[in-house]
Amino acid sequence: MPPHICEICRTARAQILRPKNHARICAACFIDIFESETAETITSTSLFQPGERVAIGASGGKDSTVLASVLKTLNDRHGWGLDLVLLSIDEGITGYRDHSLEAVKRNSAELGLPLKIVSYEELYGWSMDQVVAQVGKKGNCTYCGVFRRQALDRGAAMLGVGHVVTGHNADDVAETVLMNLLRGDLPRLSRATSIVTSTPSAARGPEGSFTNVKRSKPLMYAYEKEIVLYAHHKKLDYFSTECIYSPEAFRGSARTLIKNLERIRPESILDVVRSGIDMAKLVPDAAGNCKSGCADKKRKQEAQAEQEEGEGGCGSGNGQDAGGEMAEMERKLWQDEKAEEDGMEVEIKMPMKAVNGQNHDRDIAASGPPTSALITPTSDQDHDRHTHLSIPDLETKQTTVPIRTKAEKKQGRKMGKDGIARPAQTLGQCERCGYLSSQAVCKACVLLEGLNKSRPRTGVEVGGGDG
Amino acid sequence: MPGRPRREVTVDRSLCRRCQDNEPTITIRTEPLCATCFAKYVSTKAVKRMESFRVRHAEAGSERILLLPLSLGACSTTLIHVLSQHLAGQSERTGRTGFKLHILHVDGTEPAQSSSSLNKVRECYPQHSYSSLPLADALSLEGIHELLNLTESQENTAEALSIAVANLNSATSRDDILQLLQRKLVVDFAKRHNCEAILWGDSTTKLAERTLAETAKGRGFNLPWTVSDGESPHGIPFYFPMRDLLSKEIVAFTTMTEPPLADLVVQREQKRMVSTKNTTIDELMKQYFESVEQEYPGIVANVVKTTSTGKEQTLLWLYSSLTTNSRMRETGLRLGRDLLKTLLYSRCALSATHLHAIVYRAYSEGAEEDQACWHWEERELQQS
Repeated sequence: MPPHICEICRTARAQILRPKNHARICAACFIDIFESETAETITSTSLFQPGERVAIGASGGKDSTVLASVLKTLNDRHGWGLDLVLLSIDEGITGYRDHSLEAVKRNSAELGLPLKIVSYEELYGWSMDQVVAQVGKKGNCTYCGVFRRQALDRGAAMLGVGHVVTGHNADDVAETVLMNLLRGDLPRLSRATSIVTSTPSAARGPEGSFTNVKRSKPLMYAYEKEIVLYAHHKKLDYFSTECIYSPEAFRGSARTLIKNLERIRPESILDVVRSGIDMAKLVPDAAGNCKSGCADKKRKQEAQAEQEEGEGGCGSGNGQDAGGEMAEMERKLWQDEKAEEDGMEVEIKMPMKAVNGQNHDRDIAASGPPTSALITPTSDQDHDRHTHLSIPDLETKQTTVPIRTKAEKKQGRKMGKDGIARPAQTLGQCERCGYLSSQAVCKACVLLEGLNKSRPRTGVEVGGGDG
Repeated sequence: MPGRPRREVTVDRSLCRRCQDNEPTITIRTEPLCATCFAKYVSTKAVKRMESFRVRHAEAGSERILLLPLSLGACSTTLIHVLSQHLAGQSERTGRTGFKLHILHVDGTEPAQSSSSLNKVRECYPQHSYSSLPLADALSLEGIHELLNLTESQENTAEALSIAVANLNSATSRDDILQLLQRKLVVDFAKRHNCEAILWGDSTTKLAERTLAETAKGRGFNLPWTVSDGESPHGIPFYFPMRDLLSKEIVAFTTMTEPPLADLVVQREQKRMVSTKNTTIDELMKQYFESVEQEYPGIVANVVKTTSTGKEQTLLWLYSSLTTNSRMRETGLRLGRDLLKTLLYSRCALSATHLHAIVYRAYSEGAEEDQACWHWEERELQQS
């Protein structure tokens, strides 16, 4: 059988069976078409302003490495004049993040892009290793997720950047679409499918140069397999180990389904994304329908988003819990149905989490694999962003111990319990750190409070002990 | 009410949760039920969905006829059984019935025993009228020749159909086009026979399967119209009375009636997944929900509940995009040309709702047929 000839250039021998449409093409044509499709995505959605300063959320994994490489190439080729920087978050996970950060550093040197690393230790006074030592291996992903979303925003603020791009690919988005369908969460589905996740601070008007940070995902139409192929043929240097705190990656229903669908019909992945985008338009007051002109609703929606996104960590994190979460949701649905049948409201008693006195009804809505499960284990992205502290403020705050007053606690608990008659969520600022939050105290500060409570307060205890 | 203590009722877990008289034979969700209470459960769930067809809504003299497409599977057979009992109850109580049933069996891909099975159903429930059509009849419907690339001269035989279907390039597309033809045939029959609505036998599980399958086929826009009761894009209302029952509950029910309904049901061979390549998207989803249904029935129901809402939104969105989005206009023009013409020329004469319905049909029919035969082009997929 004669070797296949590339379907595009008709000269070179075809080396690649393109995962997206099974076209046989050569490596050069593949790289070319991958880049031009990404460029098409960027230009058709007017993702960047000329001369914009853009931070690439870089984890050292395949997605963000390819994103950085493609953006750099396209920026040079098309003269977009973007000022690209790499932004990495150091969670402080020995044996995982330290290695992947080495890959990011090598990429930074290779591509000639400046790199900024923001660490949890420096921002919150806790590295993930310390958090795990404190709370154990189960449930630590919540901390990681909540901390990360603020960390990316604060990192962007430190760099003076108004736009952070992340490496979410089509498989990730498709997976989120199915997952949220299974979970019955259309608002979240709608957020996952928009290429630019809306920016609450932008909606509030400019309040400072750092507040307008938007997030976007230029690779959301790119197949995971093609990203791997691109990395391979461009000989990119990336790190591919999963987080050590989530040894069993989240291989939940959605992921398996997506992989099987891809085998049956490769176009399915984009079809699911397409469906997701269309369905998102069906959500009342969602991004698609109410983009302008109703700031109030929008803010409310953002407030919800802020709540949702905080839950859970980096997707792979909830591996062991995934089944439990489905069971938990099943139990809740069953209760609801019973209540409806009996024609009465039942008070749903939520498991009280020690550190989380507020927001119980939300917890339920967001149970199940977290949104951020669409992030591949090695990537650093989270979706949304909020206001920041100005830098000096941040520095003085970073290791203070937030302790809530009794009144605050009471209020928090009250809000949690009467889930029905709660006032509409509105975005305000966290009274501790100034981060955008719909609650009086933002999620990260609540988590920190819990952590700090159990940390021995050295100054006091060592000196203590009178007669 | 808060404050007032409710009287504690002691429940004997070893007896039926509802009547506390009999030994339980089946566990529904968390409740052990006896056969009688379970039968009541199944029938209540289905009948509750038939509220718009109650006796009091029926005008004397003009009988409402509802079409019930019978696949001879567990769901549609159970639906006939339950509704037959319901109608008998109505006429016993009031002397008349809220509606009449017309049963239609489409003879297509089912195994050969289906005709004898259909006769058995007819003997069991002789009060309804029955029809049977070969699937190849769908070829004579308007637009189907163009859709399948058939020439004018080709005859509408089963052979022509199987050749046309075999030409499609994947198992999923073949499955898809057969479903599409079957639905078109049923809709056409219902309209010609003045039926007021179509009662489909789909269970919660089936609807959830369809929700995810349609999503995977890129038809998410259509979901609220695919799985909800009432107006459908096909010009006749669709109802799914079994929508609150799981497949496994229905299958269990067919073995517990006297005589067992299971004898009437044509057993379809379960194709085991040998290689994923030759399975279809629908089969994949079927297998997926079979497993979810065992442990998490609530999640299955929730999928359907979530996507059943939002019809209004779809129309508003379609209406606005049809006027702004060229791709949609093209699709609409290609396949819903006449409908679109009506829309453009008589805009002022139509009411807003009517207008929306027309726009919707133009688009949904166009897009669906479009996809079934020729998958979307890359370019269109990537960008909207």
